[in-house]
Amino acid sequence: MLIFDELKKNDPQLRFVAVALAIGFCILLAGLWWVQIVSAREYRNHLETQSYRTVRIPAIRGKILDREGRVLADNRPRYNLNLYLGDLRKEFNASVNQSLARAHGAQRQEIAAQEKKLGRALTKNERKQFALSTEELTQLRTGARFRVADSIVSQIGGQLQQPLSLNATRFARDYDTRLALPLTILPDLDQTFVARYEENSFADSGTDLEIQSVRNYPLGTTASHLLGYVQRDESSVEGEDAYFSYRLPDYRGVVGIEGGYDSYLRGRAGAEAVLVNNLGYRQTENFWNQPEAGHNVVLTIDLDIQRAAEASLEQHRGPDARAAIVVMDVHSGDVLAMVSSPTINPNYYTGGLSPDENQKISAALADPKLRPQINRATQENYAPGSIFKPIVGLAALEAGLNPDALVDNPGYIYVGRRHIGDLAPPGQYNLRRAIIESCNTYFITIGLRAGIENVVRMAEKFHFGERTDLPTRQETKGVFPTLKQVKSSDWHDGDSANICIGQGEMAVTPLQMAVAYSAIANGGTVLWPRLVEKIESQDPTSGETPTIFPTGLVRDHLGVSAHNLKILHDTMLAETVEGTGKPAQVPGLQICGKTGTAEVMNEHNVKIDRTTWFASFAPYENPKYAVVVMVESGTFGGPTCAPIAHDIYEEILKKENTSASKVLAAAN
Amino acid sequence: MVDPSINKHGNRLDRLQLVVLTGLMFLGAAFVFSATMVNPLEATKAWYGQTWFHQVIWYALGFGAGAVICLVDYHVLARWSVVVYWAMIFCLVLVLIPHIGSMRFGARRWIDLGFFQFQPSEFAKLAFILALANFLSRPPEELRIPLNFWKGIGLMMLPFALILKEPDLGSALVLVPTGLMMMFVAGTPKRYLMKLVGAGSLVAALFVADILFAPPSLQISMQPYQRDRLLVYFGRDYTDFAPPNATPAELQRIHQQQLDDEYNVRQALISVGSGGLAGKGWRHGTQNALGYLPRAVAHNDFIFSVIAEEEGFVGSVIVLALYAVILFSGLRIAGQARDRLGKLVVVGIVTLIFSHVFINIGMNIRIMPVTGVPLPLLSYGGSSVLCSLIALGLMQNVYIHRKGY
Repeated sequence: MLIFDELKKNDPQLRFVAVALAIGFCILLAGLWWVQIVSAREYRNHLETQSYRTVRIPAIRGKILDREGRVLADNRPRYNLNLYLGDLRKEFNASVNQSLARAHGAQRQEIAAQEKKLGRALTKNERKQFALSTEELTQLRTGARFRVADSIVSQIGGQLQQPLSLNATRFARDYDTRLALPLTILPDLDQTFVARYEENSFADSGTDLEIQSVRNYPLGTTASHLLGYVQRDESSVEGEDAYFSYRLPDYRGVVGIEGGYDSYLRGRAGAEAVLVNNLGYRQTENFWNQPEAGHNVVLTIDLDIQRAAEASLEQHRGPDARAAIVVMDVHSGDVLAMVSSPTINPNYYTGGLSPDENQKISAALADPKLRPQINRATQENYAPGSIFKPIVGLAALEAGLNPDALVDNPGYIYVGRRHIGDLAPPGQYNLRRAIIESCNTYFITIGLRAGIENVVRMAEKFHFGERTDLPTRQETKGVFPTLKQVKSSDWHDGDSANICIGQGEMAVTPLQMAVAYSAIANGGTVLWPRLVEKIESQDPTSGETPTIFPTGLVRDHLGVSAHNLKILHDTMLAETVEGTGKPAQVPGLQICGKTGTAEVMNEHNVKIDRTTWFASFAPYENPKYAVVVMVESGTFGGPTCAPIAHDIYEEILKKENTSASKVLAAAN
Repeated sequence: MVDPSINKHGNRLDRLQLVVLTGLMFLGAAFVFSATMVNPLEATKAWYGQTWFHQVIWYALGFGAGAVICLVDYHVLARWSVVVYWAMIFCLVLVLIPHIGSMRFGARRWIDLGFFQFQPSEFAKLAFILALANFLSRPPEELRIPLNFWKGIGLMMLPFALILKEPDLGSALVLVPTGLMMMFVAGTPKRYLMKLVGAGSLVAALFVADILFAPPSLQISMQPYQRDRLLVYFGRDYTDFAPPNATPAELQRIHQQQLDDEYNVRQALISVGSGGLAGKGWRHGTQNALGYLPRAVAHNDFIFSVIAEEEGFVGSVIVLALYAVILFSGLRIAGQARDRLGKLVVVGIVTLIFSHVFINIGMNIRIMPVTGVPLPLLSYGGSSVLCSLIALGLMQNVYIHRKGY
């Protein structure tokens, strides 16, 4: 090469210079190769971490719908008034410079005053004590920026006719830590303020409205226990980026359907990358991952029946009633209504209520007796009392009981040395009269005669004492003795007698009773209760096939004879025709039922309360619905619970008639 | 021994060097544009008020000055060099006097002429080369006399000390290899140079060791920013130098100070490294646009990191190659020079330019400390551009009056 000619020449000094130059260039080349080729990835990562802030963008949460597609939970827009600090950079700088100039002016004046006093110029060191410290300077800057932001905020407040102010500490913190994100100055504007804001032009003020999606329960307390609630939670779930600089508000379902189906409802959060400059101000943004909307959950609940049950309960027992109602389709196991009282409006947890309402709910939550947070239909153990007697009767019938054989009731019964009272009047009782008048003596007698093992075996087929595998995270399995327990030496006839009348060592949930009565009604099939019909895409045009949960999932067969079931149905029908269940009667619908009043004992075996029940199914000829009503601290099952069941059956009948007429209309 | 190219080119200029020079100026204008136009304030100015255009004007002025230099035989210039040298020394003294030298970034380096911030140190480098070449061009026998050796050293140390006082460590340091290389090529006995380099290295090593490891009370007093730059370069923790009774708040402040000082170097490295092989494209670099690379230095001392980020390793190699062509063709001119004076002038210029390139690019990739040395022809700055072009004009001057012609 031409330029290397000198190296060949006989000029050792120049050759030395050329070699030195060549070595120098090689060093630079090697250095550049190392930085730009070998370590390029490392430096690119550095670049990304310093100039990108990632923001977690929550997905739109799926809705919860009833079986006919009516909305139980959805999202409402929430308007936040935000201040975009990046747009105020100029104003900030101007204000900071002004403050600095003023401070320096004051400083000069002080120095001049001091010099005048001393009559000489100050030395460098003496001047130093007038200088501003780093903290003072920082304070000065923060204060200057705050004044700019605060004056804008109060100005907007004036135009919105709502006094607004900015919290200085919060402003300073947000400026330091989340400069790339807007600062919310007024959260959750109502419609009037949104309109006022839109009317006034705030184009250059650095403010804007931001729309956020907030969980909303349009029907308030309706089915609130079943729906559960959500909590603010922005943490990453599995399969999502784990590291974000910032996270926008998101919700996580805690219990109920919101909790159990949270992974379907919440969808997949997206990620946004915000490019920021060296001061942390936002430059541009772009999505790395778009959020994927959550799925809708369609429940088996029928909103009409649910609301009728709730309304009836409130009408008869008031809003503070401690009660539960379960309505079930006896053939499919679909839960058509599930009520628990007292309730909490789930909007409480997303801040959608007025301060008054919030206060009331806080008080209720703290009340040890009301305990509104538990779902009484599935989450609490209750003694079933007399509504368990048909099951004992069924076990006895299967063991060979003659339903017409008479048992003498003196008004009490001794089991061993234990005296058990009987509210049924003394006299001769067959199965029918014993059901109608809820005779303790009769059921203890036939139960003991059939043997407690047979009763336990029957209860095992009903799966008492076991969970029904609800997805709501609010379930107790109840209590029931096992065969091994009843055969042990610790088990006495007195314990068996208690079981025969639904007391003692056993406890159930209203849902378990609804499953049991459905099995009695449908000819002996014990079903898994079903709460969710399907999970489908929020977008009906997506073409995604919904996940449908199977209906009528069989858990067990009772293996009892149809004849015995028929006998039982007859006696239970008689209960509502001429027995204590009379108040449940609905014209045009034959209802089979059983009332119950269980005693609640404390640890010293002293009666402290009673649990009243009405468990039933209808229609008698071709049972379709099971309705179980439970009220804590009621008077008796008949007067307390049966009227509520009456209202529910009335609603069911009305619904059947309208749909039947619809079908007729369609046929015509 | 006749070089065939002599006959081919005749009396004309070294064309290859001119072409490469034009290429470098083009690159310089393009990347000063890229580095400054991201600033919205800059972009709103009229085109003739923008920095890149100023740079183009300096190129034109520098090119004119270089051409004028070519018209006068370098022998004539050398005769005047002593006058120029002392004039520049006078300017260097002048700049140190408050109210005459204007202060920027804590250093007194400029004389404000209103239209032009005149930086005497840049011109002093050229005057020094001419004067030293003139002094060394005497017969080699005379250079063996120790007194002449020390006179040469004295010629170098006078501007060195004055520039160091400004303070401008980088500009002062480039004089040393330039002077030594010229003395070596002139034929100064090697043992003198070896001894000098040995002693110099020892002093420098002691100096650095004192700065880095000695307790504060025993340290040579130095401008705090220069000390910090050295500490950054050697990766020392500032908190090691804190007074023993420092409060946690003070330690925190010192640590913050360290982060701030390391900031430019780190950002330059991130710029260069993130460019990768092919770069992000002209005007697509983010480091400069987002202000991570400080805007005040991006278009002058750190212009190389802008080029390296936007054009990648490919761009860096092209820049190096352009400088290599200029410098090696300069050495060829030195080989063809009519006499020792021409050879020494060219060697001085080649070494000076190379020292600038090596220190500047080296600082961008952290193999040299940050010293504020411009990259010849690419960095924005009137004095630097003018001097570089005048130096290249001198080189052409030697070529025009080469031997055999």
